[in-house]
Amino acid sequence: MLSFLNLLLHDAFFSAIPAVGFAMVFNVPKRYLVYCAIAGAIGHSSRTLLLQFSMPIEWATFVAAALVGLITIRFAKRHLAPPLMYAVAAIIPMVPGTYAFNTVIALIQLTAQSQVSPELTAQVIVNGLKTVFILGALAVGLALPSLLYYRTRPII
Amino acid sequence: MYADSQNDITRLVVRCAQLLLAYGAESDLVEEISQRLGKALGLASIELSISSNALVLTSLVHGRCITTTRRIRAHGINMMVICELQRICLLTEKGIYGANEVRRRLAHIKPKSYPAIAVVPMIGLSCASFCHLFDGDLIACVITFFASAIGMMVRLFLASRHFNLLVNFSLTAFVITAFAQMGYLWPITQTPQAAMAASVLMLVPGFPLINAISDMVKGHMNVGISRWGHATLLTLASVIGITIAMQMGGIF
Repeated sequence: MLSFLNLLLHDAFFSAIPAVGFAMVFNVPKRYLVYCAIAGAIGHSSRTLLLQFSMPIEWATFVAAALVGLITIRFAKRHLAPPLMYAVAAIIPMVPGTYAFNTVIALIQLTAQSQVSPELTAQVIVNGLKTVFILGALAVGLALPSLLYYRTRPII
Repeated sequence: MYADSQNDITRLVVRCAQLLLAYGAESDLVEEISQRLGKALGLASIELSISSNALVLTSLVHGRCITTTRRIRAHGINMMVICELQRICLLTEKGIYGANEVRRRLAHIKPKSYPAIAVVPMIGLSCASFCHLFDGDLIACVITFFASAIGMMVRLFLASRHFNLLVNFSLTAFVITAFAQMGYLWPITQTPQAAMAASVLMLVPGFPLINAISDMVKGHMNVGISRWGHATLLTLASVIGITIAMQMGGIF
């Protein structure tokens, strides 16, 4: 139990750093960087928690992104800033970057060969599907509060 | 309302929408903010048509329409500007700002960005913690830190020289991969592939991808697809850089 908690805290800390780093690339104002870090830590560690219960990564990402969406709407209402400002930096640690790069690297290797190899084709399909579905889960999960609850009125 | 003031207010609203799109807001937010700003300044309605690089806006009041078009040049993502514009919209809606104050605030918007001395180490640390999350060992994390910090320097330098974004991403990916290969060339780390995978994550166009899908989900199909295409092109450009570096290093 203690090691489990330790894993989550460790995960939260090491996903808060990229959230702040990328928030700085997107020029989020200085006083909001902390909130990006909090949302990023909660999002990624909740995904790790769900993955521990052997949930598929797409569904775990979807739930985590919905959670980030809820939290960032709270922040947005408090600071009168657009919720996407916190949310995008917060979900950067969950973006399937490795899957995306594996897909395109396998594609380029496939181009370099003279005949189609089944292993590389399988790699392209598996990684590409994962990339698309995780990205879809992230974006739809983030939009979930405004799709279900804030249907006709603006968030702030 | 007189014709010249409708002209003035339409110009303010279209300027606001143009800034929002140029600095990377999603289409739904652009539409919402410009309609609210227009209504708050006394127009009856605002209709927007957004495409990938232009914006057409029509304002209607007392049965009189004004339509105007603006070209949009993407300036990279700057949330400070978007935050500021959202605040202007809210203050106008509450009746604190009139057209003159809005004009003054819009003229004063300057896209400030963080200095390189802060961004470069932070990006290095970010990619190093990605490497740690992928179970890389300490040396792999150190390699990742330096690779992505150098990559960020290259990226900022090329951006300040106004290179095409695709060229910029290819060159940056090349430099990063060439550096991150160190783990393969000398046996200093057990997990060289973690360093390779983590250090290029700095180039993943996360913001355009999320914007693309959220535009498509909310019904702005053409903007969403064009953003998706742009993000795919950026990924492809960085993969070309990575491939060249890997082939030169002899890993393939």
